[in-house]
Amino acid sequence: MRFRQIFRLIGILIFFLGLSMIAPLLVSLWYSDGGFLPILYSLAITSGSGLVLFLPLKIEEYPSLRQREGMAIVTLGWLSAGFFGSLPFLLSGSISTFTEAYFESISGFTTTGASVLSNIELLPKGILFWRSLTQWMGGMGIIVLSIAILPFLGVGGMQLYKAEIPSPIVDKLRPRISETAKTLWKVYLLITILEIGLLFMGGMPLFDSICHAFCTMPTGGFSTQSGSIAQYDSAYFEGIITVFMVLAGVNFSLHFRFLKGDLAVFGRDPECRVFLSTLAILILLVTVNIYGQVYHSVGNAFRHAAFQVTSIMTTTGFVTGDYAQWPGLSQIILVLCMFIGAMAGSTGGAIKIMRIILLVRHGYQEIFRLIHPHAVRSIKLGGKPVPAEVLNSVWGFFILYLALFIVAVVIMSSIGLDILTSFASVAATIGNVGPGFGLVGPVNNYLSIPDLGKWVLIFCMLLGRLEIYTVIILLAPAYWRK
Amino acid sequence: MKIIIIGAGEVGFTIAQRLSEENHDVVVIEKDPNKIRQIQNVIDVQAIAGSGTSPSVLHEAGIKETDILVAATDSDEANLIACFFAQHLTDYITKIARIKNPDYMEHRQIFSQDFLSIDLIINPKSEMVASMLKLMEVPWASEVMDFVDGRVKLMGVTIKDNSPVVGRRLSSFNDYEHAVLVGAIVRGEKVIIPGGQDTIQPNDLIYCVSRREEVPHIFRLLNLTEEGLSRVIIVGGGETGLALATSLDTMNINTKIIEKDGQRCLELAEKLEKVVVLNGDGTDRELLVEENVADVDIMIVLTGDEESNVLISLLGKALGAKKTVTRIGKLSYIPLVSAIGIDTVVSPRLSAIRAILQYIRKGKVICEAPLKGEGAEVIEVEALETSDIVNIPLSKVKFPKEAIVAAIVRGEEIIIPRGHNMIKPHDHLIIFALKDAIPKLEKLFTVKLEYF
Repeated sequence: MRFRQIFRLIGILIFFLGLSMIAPLLVSLWYSDGGFLPILYSLAITSGSGLVLFLPLKIEEYPSLRQREGMAIVTLGWLSAGFFGSLPFLLSGSISTFTEAYFESISGFTTTGASVLSNIELLPKGILFWRSLTQWMGGMGIIVLSIAILPFLGVGGMQLYKAEIPSPIVDKLRPRISETAKTLWKVYLLITILEIGLLFMGGMPLFDSICHAFCTMPTGGFSTQSGSIAQYDSAYFEGIITVFMVLAGVNFSLHFRFLKGDLAVFGRDPECRVFLSTLAILILLVTVNIYGQVYHSVGNAFRHAAFQVTSIMTTTGFVTGDYAQWPGLSQIILVLCMFIGAMAGSTGGAIKIMRIILLVRHGYQEIFRLIHPHAVRSIKLGGKPVPAEVLNSVWGFFILYLALFIVAVVIMSSIGLDILTSFASVAATIGNVGPGFGLVGPVNNYLSIPDLGKWVLIFCMLLGRLEIYTVIILLAPAYWRK
Repeated sequence: MKIIIIGAGEVGFTIAQRLSEENHDVVVIEKDPNKIRQIQNVIDVQAIAGSGTSPSVLHEAGIKETDILVAATDSDEANLIACFFAQHLTDYITKIARIKNPDYMEHRQIFSQDFLSIDLIINPKSEMVASMLKLMEVPWASEVMDFVDGRVKLMGVTIKDNSPVVGRRLSSFNDYEHAVLVGAIVRGEKVIIPGGQDTIQPNDLIYCVSRREEVPHIFRLLNLTEEGLSRVIIVGGGETGLALATSLDTMNINTKIIEKDGQRCLELAEKLEKVVVLNGDGTDRELLVEENVADVDIMIVLTGDEESNVLISLLGKALGAKKTVTRIGKLSYIPLVSAIGIDTVVSPRLSAIRAILQYIRKGKVICEAPLKGEGAEVIEVEALETSDIVNIPLSKVKFPKEAIVAAIVRGEEIIIPRGHNMIKPHDHLIIFALKDAIPKLEKLFTVKLEYF
């Protein structure tokens, strides 16, 4: 481990994170909402700390990073982003304790969308904007962003990219890693702008349009309204946001190929097909289930089912209806959605469709082998065989996901939370969803969770966003041995 | 530039690495998933698993927007087919193929004409033979490279313990100003681009540049003793050994070739005129003593077995051969063997890499020769009118510290420059540079052009 290099890169990362606070600073200045000075101080502290870490650690060149160093940079980088991201909340007095502020900040960067805030409308606009911006930056990845900006990382960039990108198979769109990162960010930016435009044209205030688009595309789920999207009660907004949540749940390399003119790419990609059809089936089931029991017109039932299933499955976490009041089947479907998640390579969290497909095919292969003991079969995805090591890593991921989930649930219940809350809060944070059930249900927030519980959930959010391995490896003693 | 490289063996891998470091967009096509993974971890290129002979894989790699295709697999046929498809998929692509089979080489014009129009055919072995012949022209040098059609020579010389130049500052060689320039010193693992204050130490490998006709100056400067080339022993009578022996045959140099296989010896004897063909094993001490290895000027070891090559060379040295040239295939061995006392290493792969890189950089950086392993390079560039460096004295040019201009070629004139010399537009410069400085240099020479 070359700590100089690790800390230097983290310093650069923090420096740029500080610079990104210029955007909320300007928002604050524009609305003169009283958030200007706190954000300015946060900016100064953040960028200053970045420089302090970065400047003294002169190194002669950038030898290529090793995989383990990449993982350390990404995890430590995210932890410190969470810390500095909490400063605007703390300094502006929007959130009073460090634990809560850190929770809100990590929830933002990891695109979870679990909040401790209740009267959101009362916050300074600058702070609200920062809250949305953390999600937007975290969605495509703060590290991927820095790879796009800092071309000197070279191969080292690849190690960082692999550690941050949420997918078992890493797809390089362009010959250069910095070009790949830039391309992804451009696609991301383009779709975000499109959503802002559509929301704004439908009559949403510009500030709200930007904030909601910034929280849709990373499948984040923070809203500028306490009542989330339900506050607007507009079928148009819900429709637009539903569509863009689906887009955010699709692998961004498919968007790239689509934009390059390959129009059939969504239909051809096996994972995308499974994602869209699963989504459609679940929406249909929930519609049928809630029609008559909760909503009395088919249209309304479909509208809420479509929004809520999409929101939970893509791990966004916007809310239009109190699904905690829905019948059991619908609730179970939503819980399942929290585990399934969106496509690999999207901004969504949880286990992800690609892993589910591979696990199911692997399971089927075992059955097939029992029927034909001499059969030689390989597991394929889209006609291409999947390497054994990818399968192994998928299994490992699945087991770790469940194991860590169980451990976290046990801790949550041991600090006095009821079974539903323990279960749902962990599922909603490790899957980067946001709202859960029980005390953390769609109309509640995470303020009532004890501090220890909040730290457990913070850890879960990081595990979920960085796909477990990157974080958990830092806890392995062998990792630190020379 | 976008470059597709087919085959990630040592040649493909090294080329991909170098070009990627020089900020080209590189796509590597390779069949072996393990190699793909290794590449992804080590170099910043796009690696595609698949066969380079498949048109659909070539499409996936983006052959339509590609400037150069390098077919560097181990199979001649695969390389040819890859070039064939590339030719039919795009019109303007430059194609470079590595071809080993001497039969194909004999009919190379078939490949370079309309049908395939391969722009450059690289035969690693003949490249290697050429570099060995160059080496023999200057037998006291451990490495010889040509620039500007051989009018400028670059020589690597190892300084012996008892050499009178040991301890001298470079600035004290005033007499040889404008004739000889020491451009790089390899000391142990380190490569130094020296200034006037640096001193020469024993066991340094120094690289000097000089005009062809002034090569004897270096010889005098370094107080070397006369070692004319009159006796050569070649161990190993394979393709390369035969090619080399054939060339030496015409040069009136007393040459012996040792080959293990009796049948092969007959073939050699049929093809060679004056060369003495010996049937025996190169590791056989008796044979070497009997054939008077002690009086040999150069012993060239070219058998197919890497490890034996090293041992035979060491044996030859121990028996008194003045100099050994050893063929090493594996690139990773090269830094090791010079540490144990092998004088000069030749490698078909290294030769192929040099030739390919040299060709790709044509136009911008015309000619390139890596010095000892990987640490430094000598590059030949053309100074453009638009460049920042022209028409001001060299001492004023903001040159990277790790680089030095070793020669200026202006038409027929060749200048070994000092600080007051000026670079004029269209001069060709020969520059020594550490690897890190290459991108800076490229910028210095081309940045202005990109505005056009």
